[in-house]
Amino acid sequence: MKIKLATLALLSFSGLLTGAMPAQAKLSVIAATPDIAALVAEIGGSEVTVDTIAKGTQDPHYIEAKPSYMTKMSHADLVVAVGLDLEVGWMPSILRGARNPKIAPGSNGFFELGSTIEPLEVPEGKITRAEGDVHPFGNPHFTLDPIRMGIAGVALAERLGQLDAPHAAAYVTRAKAFQKRMADKTKLWQARIAKSNVKEIVTYHKTLTYFFSRFGLKNPAILEPKPGIPPTSGHIMEVIATIREKKIPLIMVENYFDPTVTNRIKEDVPAVRVAVVPVAVEGAPGIKTLDDLYEKLVATVEGK
Amino acid sequence: MRRNIIYVLVLLFSLSSLAAFAAAGAGASKAFNPDISANFLGLVLRDTRGSNLRTDARHNGISFQEGELQFTADVDPYFRASALFSVAQKDNSTDFGIDPEEVYAESIALPVVTVRIGKFKAALGKNNQLHTHAYPFIDQPLINQDLLGTEGLNEAGVSAAALVPAPWFVELTLQGLGTNNAKIFNSQQSGDYAGVASLKNLWDLSDSATFEFTVFGTEGPNAGGGQSYVYGSDAIMKWRPAEGGKYKALIWQTEYLRGNLLRQATPQLSGIASWLQYQFAERWWVQARAEYEGLQPKSMELGSKRKQSLLLGFFPSEFSGFRVQYDHLLADGQKDGHDIALQWNFSIGAHPAHAY
Repeated sequence: MKIKLATLALLSFSGLLTGAMPAQAKLSVIAATPDIAALVAEIGGSEVTVDTIAKGTQDPHYIEAKPSYMTKMSHADLVVAVGLDLEVGWMPSILRGARNPKIAPGSNGFFELGSTIEPLEVPEGKITRAEGDVHPFGNPHFTLDPIRMGIAGVALAERLGQLDAPHAAAYVTRAKAFQKRMADKTKLWQARIAKSNVKEIVTYHKTLTYFFSRFGLKNPAILEPKPGIPPTSGHIMEVIATIREKKIPLIMVENYFDPTVTNRIKEDVPAVRVAVVPVAVEGAPGIKTLDDLYEKLVATVEGK
Repeated sequence: MRRNIIYVLVLLFSLSSLAAFAAAGAGASKAFNPDISANFLGLVLRDTRGSNLRTDARHNGISFQEGELQFTADVDPYFRASALFSVAQKDNSTDFGIDPEEVYAESIALPVVTVRIGKFKAALGKNNQLHTHAYPFIDQPLINQDLLGTEGLNEAGVSAAALVPAPWFVELTLQGLGTNNAKIFNSQQSGDYAGVASLKNLWDLSDSATFEFTVFGTEGPNAGGGQSYVYGSDAIMKWRPAEGGKYKALIWQTEYLRGNLLRQATPQLSGIASWLQYQFAERWWVQARAEYEGLQPKSMELGSKRKQSLLLGFFPSEFSGFRVQYDHLLADGQKDGHDIALQWNFSIGAHPAHAY
């Protein structure tokens, strides 16, 4: 009886092993965030299918590693992540649970775009968690910089071409077109922001660092006292003092944070403008592409 | 005692070796160091039916509840290894001992299936697979403690967990284990084995909600020369809104366990635990649990237990937490028990993410 049971169990498992999914004509790509998914769709065109894990309204640091994501990744040819430790709390669990050697870290089927760009705010010397949720490899929110995304797009095209050689040239062509479009639009966006006379902006988290760096904006105060730590009343008072002293005209609250903390600031400094902004594609209605996202951020700075 | 000293020495030697590698500053050496983390749990307890003896592992007053040291790394292109050592007070003593709670290697290069070998927590329900610092409440449900023991079903063996091709998440797990569990598989024959099977399903109800349903069971020999059977199911509903999900969430979990232990002193024991966990602010949770144990036939005249628990949790960050829990225990033929406990948990190092 025991032998029969063991045989049945072995047969069940061998059936599962050989029951691989049918070969797909298109590359199946899973993106960690909607920004990455938008870039994959831009470069991959009709040669890829793309699905995403995080939603545009979710904080990408704290995504729950739902088993259903493992099912999605079990069929994937390529997983594209932000990297720079943004997904360290959830991506490894999903990758392991997917049981798909094609997308194992270190293989061609796993690609972190953070490795292709020059990161900002890379901490120097020893870091500790007393400084909050510090990323040891630098700020991971580079998807808000159109120029860096252009560079990442070219690197992504190369990786797609390695996995799908017949379409390699098409991927490179699309990536270069995207990079040029971003470069051209960035000049226009820079001119609009320069004209707005907004030079300094308060944010909730260091999410907009790359956007500000690209567009010559400064971020002299942050509502979080330390990365990942909710605002305290004492810290809010310091932020209010900074806003008054520097006459900061705008607070941009990333859409996955609670904006009610800004009510207190508004009471003390009625002149300051508060805007809840999407910081990812799909983060607000009508934000379907990276172009839409950057346009929305620029328009917010302009006060439109 | 001698064995514990050896464990401590081996552990200290390992840590000092790793520290030496790190101190050497050689980039390549550091890159290959395992992820190391430690959890420290402390407890202040006041239980009307609890022990006032410091030699009891669970006693009234303040105590260092448990420390967990975890090492995790890829071994090579084929395997990943994880070792978790638990440091806790031994019963009938004020000494502390180190136990290898989970030490295993598992495949990372096989498609569809993960094969694991070593000592690990068996796939016998959600609760049985949690480490102490990850329990939803300060303690395990009554039925888990009374049927499987305080350490749960945690044995040396082999496991294969396959992802079944389906539109939703389906995982089939089969395990073969040694029989060292004092409660259910206490056979003295070293050649005896127990089998475990689990079928886990999870459906995405929306971007914000999931429903998980698992059935599981195990069979193996006991000291009375009979077979022990344990089976059960768990159902978990989780809700965390896709918008505003940093600040609110709701979990409803129910787990049922039943044991038929042939030729044992307590031949049948079953119980159910159900609880709600509600996150009402970024760092705050409130929870309530109801339990019933003793669903065996009344003709056997075995006592039943009921328990209600309330918990308030405050988590300054994902690496620290404070929880206060009140329990009301009603057991047939005994005075009502009331206890209140404050637990703290600190986590340092690179702790692997918990399962969903």
